[in-house]
Amino acid sequence: MTDSLYVAWQYIRYNKVKTATLVACITLIGFLPLVLERLLRESERQLAARAATTPLVVGAKGSALDLVMSTLYFGDEMPERITMKAARQVTDSDLAIAIPLYVRFKARDFPIVGTTLDYFDFRGLQVSRGRQLAILGECVLGATAANRLGLGVGDSLVSSPENLFDLAGVYPLKMQVVGILHRTHTSDDLAVFVDLKTAWVIEGLGHGHEDLTRTRDQSVILKRTEGNVAATAKLMHFQEITAENMDSFHFHGDTTVYPATAVIAVPNDAKSGTILRGRYLGSGGEYQIVVPEEVIDSLLQNIFRIKNVIEAVILIVGFATILAIVLVFSLSLRLRQREIETIFKLGCSRLTTVRLLSAEVGIILVGSGVLCLALLGAVAPFENELVRSLIIR
Amino acid sequence: MRHRFLSLLLASAVLFLASISSRADELSVYTTNYPLQYFAERIAGDHAGVVFPAPADVDPASWMPDRETIAAYQKADLILLNGATYEKWVSKVSLPRSRMVDTSRGFRDRYITMEENVTHTHGAGGEHAHSNVAFTTWLDFTLAVEQAKAVAKALIWKKPGEKATFEKNLTALERDLVALDGELRKIAARTPSRPLVGSHPVYQYLARRYGLNLKSVHWEPDERPNEAQWRELKGLLKDHPARHIVWEGEPLGDIRTELGNLGLQSIVFIPCGNRPVEGDFLQVMRMNILNLDGAL
Repeated sequence: MTDSLYVAWQYIRYNKVKTATLVACITLIGFLPLVLERLLRESERQLAARAATTPLVVGAKGSALDLVMSTLYFGDEMPERITMKAARQVTDSDLAIAIPLYVRFKARDFPIVGTTLDYFDFRGLQVSRGRQLAILGECVLGATAANRLGLGVGDSLVSSPENLFDLAGVYPLKMQVVGILHRTHTSDDLAVFVDLKTAWVIEGLGHGHEDLTRTRDQSVILKRTEGNVAATAKLMHFQEITAENMDSFHFHGDTTVYPATAVIAVPNDAKSGTILRGRYLGSGGEYQIVVPEEVIDSLLQNIFRIKNVIEAVILIVGFATILAIVLVFSLSLRLRQREIETIFKLGCSRLTTVRLLSAEVGIILVGSGVLCLALLGAVAPFENELVRSLIIR
Repeated sequence: MRHRFLSLLLASAVLFLASISSRADELSVYTTNYPLQYFAERIAGDHAGVVFPAPADVDPASWMPDRETIAAYQKADLILLNGATYEKWVSKVSLPRSRMVDTSRGFRDRYITMEENVTHTHGAGGEHAHSNVAFTTWLDFTLAVEQAKAVAKALIWKKPGEKATFEKNLTALERDLVALDGELRKIAARTPSRPLVGSHPVYQYLARRYGLNLKSVHWEPDERPNEAQWRELKGLLKDHPARHIVWEGEPLGDIRTELGNLGLQSIVFIPCGNRPVEGDFLQVMRMNILNLDGAL
């Protein structure tokens, strides 16, 4: 047997290009369906785990999928905005804790998640370096975001303008990084967390500037009456919140109408959750309430339907490839007819000849198998990231 | 001897463990002013450790806690807010909303809007900033009762097993506050439209509830008013001929004298937003009522 393997190996070495092509084809046939299966299982695990831990989400009526993807995975599709009235409704019901989220802005392609401290308790997020948010203008980074941005505690991060055609619309805010979270292998690792009020400052709903009732610069005053001073657009707003200008920061209007993208409702118990859901049924209200697990289940069913189609396609292509490989081997045998006759005349029995040829095929198959396993092993550590970048976000 | 020593040691250990266990069960409650601390202590008794961390010499309405204090608030089981824009620092810090209780939210339709503040807007049609709402809600003792009920409700939510105790304590507190309310109404009813001057705009709820004809200037008891402030007071007295001025603390002696020359007698009515030097909330309010009674 060893002799057969040696001769087969020498033959394969001599015909490198043909061997490499055959190995590549067989490896791909094996690798593609296996990696697809693993990625889809991983996506199912991630999507389902995150959804299972989020009981209820309240948002604007419309696409439930956009609402869930934005709330749970901070996806790029922003749902219709709601107001803080939605959070107030949940709190006033005494049936659940309301955790508002405002996921609209980005800082260098990482989503800025405006929320309250309850979110960190709810998700079990712990600070690994630095401390938790304390005052306006501070941010806490997810582990991956901190790593990729190359930022640590004490550094600063500026929010990005929403688009280049409206630079004056949303004020970039220079935020202080006060903490880095432990890695959780969820979308939280990629987020820049700020207090909800800081997100409103980025939007321009809150700001700081000099005291208009005491300013000496008349060009910033549009109109002054006994009870009010109206400012012009010339009045400069602070781009960073510091200990010196903190006192000047304020919000205009009623914060009940301030924006949010969703409210995570954590019911006190199962019965409270059912009652709360019942209050949003019917077409009358402005908001919808969704169960993320149900939305994600529906999404996964669609994904697996697509997966079945892709697998069928791979199966057909694979079958065609195998046929082509068999054709290559048979044509190769025909071309090597004189070589086989020579081996026979040298004294090799038919069985030995068959063993020689089988060894060649065997080496190619084993080589392909090993390469396939190596590729799967190389992809395995990046499954989490691949799923998040290719499927979830 | 040895047997007795061992018994004593064992008893001490049991007592020590029991005290640790009861402290572990104790709720941690943080408040943003002293009246709420007083209400929470009266209602919760031994079932909560109530903390109001502002230094004794600052006005809690304009206080900004440092980062360590903010971190302490974040760890509390319950954070009791006065509401009505009292604690302006809350809009600038991160606190767990689920553990915050706005004790005046139940009567926000009865907040008093102040006319005399100057607000600002951006552009001709912009929204106003600096909500000009009066915030010393506890000086109307009927509103103080509502705030106490909000405190009790929050404590029961956190420790439903002690509902009976909290309700019993609330009833006792309510009785005291209602008694204060009754006494003040009687005093105010004697001279219903007598003009009064408030040294500082903190008596809006007191004036509304007890029908006091009170207008305010903006003085501090420990500061000499300037010429403009004296002129303002004299101008006010032309249309509002008051003979009493109500102070939030003991005024400087020479100011008392100068006011006396203007025909104004000083009455001290301490709002008690921060903890008093002596006594407690109830004792301070009783003293305030006595001062008012003696003067009017």
